[in-house]
Amino acid sequence: MRKEKLRDLSFFLSPMVLMVLLFYLVPLIMTIYISMTRMKNWNVERYLTEFVGIYNYERLFYMFQHDPTFKAVIMTTIVFVGITLMINVFGGLSLALATFFINERAASSYRLLWLLPRMSPIAVYSLVWYYFFHGSEIGTLNSILMSLGLISEPIPWGQVTPWGAWSVIIFVNGLVGVSFGMIVFTSALNQIPKELVIAARVDGASSWQISKRILIPMMKWHLLYVLTWQFLSLLTTYPHLFLLVEWDLVNRDYGTTLALYVFNTAFGRGEQDQGLAAAAAVVLSIIGVIGGFVTLKVLQFEKMMKKPRGDF
Amino acid sequence: MRTAAVWLIALVILGVVASGCIGGEEANTSKVDVQLSGDFTKDVLEIGKVLEQNGVKEVKFSAWGSGDPNSVMRVYGIVEAARRINKIWADNGIDVKITITETHYVASFQDAYEEYLSKQPLGQAGDFFVNSYAFLPTLADEGYILEITDYATAYQSVIDDFYPSLIEASKFKGKLYGLPQDTEARPLYIRKDVAQKIGFDLTDLDEKVKNGEFTWSDVYYWAKKAKEEGAAEWGLIHRKGSAHPDLIQFIFAFGGKLYNPNNGKLVLDVPAVYKWLYVEWKFARDGLLPEDIMSWDWAKQIHPAVVEGRTLFDIGGTWYWTEWQTKQYYAKDGTPRGLKPEEVKEWFYYTLFPAGEKGGEPVTLSQPFVWMINSKAGQLNPKYDELKDVYHKLAFLMIIKASDPDINAIHSVISSHLPVRKAAAELIKDEKWLNDLKSLNIDLDEKVKDNIREIVQATVHPINAQFLADVSYMLEYTHLAPAHPKYPALADIFKEAVDKTLRGEMTPEEAVNYIIQKVKADPELAQNVEIQGEVPKDWKFPQE
Repeated sequence: MRKEKLRDLSFFLSPMVLMVLLFYLVPLIMTIYISMTRMKNWNVERYLTEFVGIYNYERLFYMFQHDPTFKAVIMTTIVFVGITLMINVFGGLSLALATFFINERAASSYRLLWLLPRMSPIAVYSLVWYYFFHGSEIGTLNSILMSLGLISEPIPWGQVTPWGAWSVIIFVNGLVGVSFGMIVFTSALNQIPKELVIAARVDGASSWQISKRILIPMMKWHLLYVLTWQFLSLLTTYPHLFLLVEWDLVNRDYGTTLALYVFNTAFGRGEQDQGLAAAAAVVLSIIGVIGGFVTLKVLQFEKMMKKPRGDF
Repeated sequence: MRTAAVWLIALVILGVVASGCIGGEEANTSKVDVQLSGDFTKDVLEIGKVLEQNGVKEVKFSAWGSGDPNSVMRVYGIVEAARRINKIWADNGIDVKITITETHYVASFQDAYEEYLSKQPLGQAGDFFVNSYAFLPTLADEGYILEITDYATAYQSVIDDFYPSLIEASKFKGKLYGLPQDTEARPLYIRKDVAQKIGFDLTDLDEKVKNGEFTWSDVYYWAKKAKEEGAAEWGLIHRKGSAHPDLIQFIFAFGGKLYNPNNGKLVLDVPAVYKWLYVEWKFARDGLLPEDIMSWDWAKQIHPAVVEGRTLFDIGGTWYWTEWQTKQYYAKDGTPRGLKPEEVKEWFYYTLFPAGEKGGEPVTLSQPFVWMINSKAGQLNPKYDELKDVYHKLAFLMIIKASDPDINAIHSVISSHLPVRKAAAELIKDEKWLNDLKSLNIDLDEKVKDNIREIVQATVHPINAQFLADVSYMLEYTHLAPAHPKYPALADIFKEAVDKTLRGEMTPEEAVNYIIQKVKADPELAQNVEIQGEVPKDWKFPQE
């Protein structure tokens, strides 16, 4: 009987196990290995066997310690991840709840609108905000404010440190991330039996009360999922930030998060140092694992995983 | 279960490793070789016959290039070279032809380099790669480009026609790895109309610049006057970013250096860098140079400010001359348009980058582009293992052909880059040839003609040819940024320091210390950079 169960389990689990092995475990092992070699300029033949132990880690930590801009990078990472995460999760939740209570057709078009930032190519989307927040009179925001007579001189938004730079990167990334939470929460809301909402309505509950007492408590799982997922992706994201910094829209020190910092260190200066990049990736993964673990603990993941009570 | 899992993991790892090894084995075939004689037609015919005997009817190559929109001859030069070789074969009854399967041209030369670097090991990069000489050492060191020293020996007469400093820039550890494609100088442009308003006499100014009489203190004086008298909004506009190393001209202008040839290390020349940053800081504090210039937009701010006469001075490049004609930067009449050659001539004076201090030397900066050949060139063609040497020699002959004086001269005229060969420099002075080029009545591939028609219409003009002839002397004063793998990292730090100084976030002295700290923060960079000298204590700018 046990053998049979094992066979069945292996049969159903094997595709997933294989995928995890191929796409997660093997790359992880390879990354750790490359981080201990002198691998650079993609020259696998020459450097893949040149083992240097923990040299790349030492070099990375030396930079962390001695780089005068590193403190700004850490502060930026904390503020960026913290605030953008809140916007992503609670913005997504508010949008899902708002569209839940309106006519389905209008709700769909509204949701589609919010998906635009995610659907647009990163370069195009970033370029839109580049011209919007540009620190001179060619910037859309500046020209609007100037024509309204609210300001007389253009404001270099992204160069006002630290909060100007932080606001721009949080705004731009916040808009991209909101749609993810919105989709997850909308699908969760659609799973909640309509009878509950109707009954509450009959009892005279307002939309706010329905959201607070019925809908949100029933979406705890989804909240946890979106929170953890977005936290990890914000910790490792850099494409939008890279462009905004590269185009000099935002201040380099206060527009650079840890992920962008390690990307620039390994690839951004005309050098393609894959050994160092791999070491940085390992460090980021460790931070991610710790961060993910803390999130799950704080949100009491085990409690949710407890077997339901009742007789089965 | 556990044993099964272990087996499974082992199998997967083995599979991954094996997949990387398959195809790595070299076929055991006899190699075919041809000797280059230096007689181009004879060599081409011999290669053609060898290919024909081996049943090869078509040779496929691809060309990768990058740069401003007017510099497309960097890839079309290869297309034209292929046509000229095909013609030799066809005229002599050889049934082989070269097809250029791809002309990959992008704006950013750094992006092009990164793409080549990542794709070359996979065998997916272009067979011809034209890019800055600055990347040549890394590509040569990694074995990604072909060494052509021996091939070039047979063509010494062609090599001798190139300017020697450019051939030197195409070498790595004494070996030749490419042929120069173009170069440029970076003049200081002066608006003649603004100068006139403030009584700034430009007669013989280039002579005064040459003998170190007119220095950056004078630039400051006139820039200030132009601003104070309301003749222009700004005194000086310059380029931005670290990729364009224009601003390091200040280091050379203040007698500093960036490279120590004795130990092969980069140099952080503290006094020269301090003086550079001080000049930038002073200009910005007095409102003569925008403090946020490093975040200005090229097309909407930098170029329009210059072509519309909102500044007295501009540190630019020779290619600006035609870029201002083909790009629509001038919008004073309402609709944006390009300048006419006559307007550019009437409005702009140009001279070398002046010396930092009295008695110093003026400078300019060049970044030669080089035609390089992929070390795997021709790999997609039949019988590559046997005919590898033949394909490589054919590729070499193609860059020799692409360096024909007329091809080089066309590129120079339409993109305002300086010719790399003396014969090309002679050709651009020939009025008849210029007229034929203007009407495209020249021996050139039809596809190439179609692609450059508009650029030719906008740029081929006696005024532009004269400009190139006039600025050629600047090459005598030129400096090259060090072709050192760590230089981009240092240039990046310079850029950050300039930005912080201009914005007033740091004083020049703080910015110099910031550069030192940043250099020391990366152990590998620190090992490659020699820090020399100290911040000068009693130095003043502007000088009396």
